[in-house]
Amino acid sequence: MKDGWLGRLRDEVAQAWAVTIKDMKVYYLRPGMIMFGLLMPFFMFFSFSVRREMAAAQGVARLLALTVFFTAAAAGPFIIPLERRLGTYDRLLAAPMSLLTLLLGKTAVGAFFAIGVSALALLVGVVVFGASIAQPWLLVGGVLLGSFSFSALGLIFGSIPTRNPGDVMMPSTLLRWGLLFISGVFIPLEEMGAVARTVAYLSPLTYAQDLMNHAVLGIGLLSPWLDITVLLVSGVLFLVPSILMHRRSRRLGY
Amino acid sequence: MDNAIEVYNLTKYYGDLLAVDHINFEVRQGEVFGFLGPNGAGKTTTQRMLTTLLEPTEGRIVIHGRDLARDPYPVKRQMGLLPEEATVYTELTAWENLMFTATLYRVPRSERAARARELLETFGLWEKRDVKVENFSRGMRRRLSIAMAIIHKPALLFLDEPTPGLDAQSARAIRDLIRRMNAEGTTIFLTTHQIEEANQLCDRVAIINYGRIAAIDTPERLKQAFRRVQSVEVALEPDGQTHGQALTALSGVTTAVKMGDKWRLYTEDPSALLPQVMDYARSHDLRVVSLSTLGPSLEDVFLEITGQQVGTVRHETQARGRMQGVRGRRGGRR
Repeated sequence: MKDGWLGRLRDEVAQAWAVTIKDMKVYYLRPGMIMFGLLMPFFMFFSFSVRREMAAAQGVARLLALTVFFTAAAAGPFIIPLERRLGTYDRLLAAPMSLLTLLLGKTAVGAFFAIGVSALALLVGVVVFGASIAQPWLLVGGVLLGSFSFSALGLIFGSIPTRNPGDVMMPSTLLRWGLLFISGVFIPLEEMGAVARTVAYLSPLTYAQDLMNHAVLGIGLLSPWLDITVLLVSGVLFLVPSILMHRRSRRLGY
Repeated sequence: MDNAIEVYNLTKYYGDLLAVDHINFEVRQGEVFGFLGPNGAGKTTTQRMLTTLLEPTEGRIVIHGRDLARDPYPVKRQMGLLPEEATVYTELTAWENLMFTATLYRVPRSERAARARELLETFGLWEKRDVKVENFSRGMRRRLSIAMAIIHKPALLFLDEPTPGLDAQSARAIRDLIRRMNAEGTTIFLTTHQIEEANQLCDRVAIINYGRIAAIDTPERLKQAFRRVQSVEVALEPDGQTHGQALTALSGVTTAVKMGDKWRLYTEDPSALLPQVMDYARSHDLRVVSLSTLGPSLEDVFLEITGQQVGTVRHETQARGRMQGVRGRRGGRR
């Protein structure tokens, strides 16, 4: 170990990265990840978009928001309870790294998965449907920030003290669908009434969708800086309940 | 000698259930310390608290002079943990499992490969290093799991039931490794059901029962404290198996247990019992095929202390009474 805080920081970064790489190798091709992370956003997109008149660019913006949201949030609720059940999570908790390091490593797993699937969605949108991207850098920033923020959201459910992924999937799916339906993904914010729009602001997905609209269409209702700030802050805040629930798990023996 | 582990008043409640009840003990630097107890006695709960996986309700743990609650990071770096289950990543190869663990424990990059190779060769897994662990047998997974626990050369190694379910060869290899690591200075905390294993490996053992430490001492001293469970073992012919009731009735016999084609007669005074057995054989025209006296085994001691059966007869009340006389420290209130 290198001495001092810089050495410790270097160690923690390497440990978080090792957790991420290990999880990518172990879980990316698991049926649960394919189902909830890869197929679900496309399924949602086609369910609510088929037979509706929509420009290609508008469809791409919506698909990107959906993939970032669903794919990133799928990893945490699936991986951590499974590792608890198999006993491998004990190895991680007993290792000389902070809980935050472990959680950041786990957050990156969902985030990288979402970034990969979003890239696929973008490729389909651009190549097949001929969509163009108005602000590429905003798109990159939106996908990165959204992926990390929603992966941290998924981690909250993964942190519930249980060894059964099924116990987590139900509340996680309910919340994700709730956040989806109150957000401005299917009904644009400008078409919502005052009450509905106020409720929509409670969903971080609203800001991700608005940011994608800025990036792909070149227009959005809110300031892109507000969208970025909300995604960044919510990503950090989502880690707090995960830390608290891990502490509770340590008291309960999970 | 310095202590590797010091435990003060350690307590754990799960809701209203008291799993570990104000226990105190210490593990000396460089010893193999056995932690024995029946199912549900609090063994694994205690070990999980010692390895930071579980937060104590009350009490203090000091490892290598550091308070575990205040400063776990340097302590964790010196610890190795082998959980009860073979917790390996089955989708990864043996090599990848080891490299991952080496990274987690910050083994210097230049040493990782050499260390992994040494361990894989020691455990007979080198040829299978690139095979996914899902194709490994239970014994191979267990060996890999141990390799993962020691790749960073821990000064303190926690082993939870390291050998059950393994073939004799794998179990022996693991016991040899424990001895070798201990000889090189590693302190071993061994949680086990395998009484004979503890007898062979441990410098001292603690017996935990109902969440409290019932006894702590060396295996031999514990046996001496339980002279009541000495025995005479006799094989008679013909029809030696049919004489159990009559043998139990001999003076001084507390319990008779059939052991294959032999009878084991528990007694406090084997020398007084031997002539009675010979007289019995003579008077019934029986041939004594074998006759031997046995001191108390650690298993006998364990069963007495935990109030379980020695063979067929329960000694719960007697065992509880005798626990007062056993050396060791006990928790305070229940």
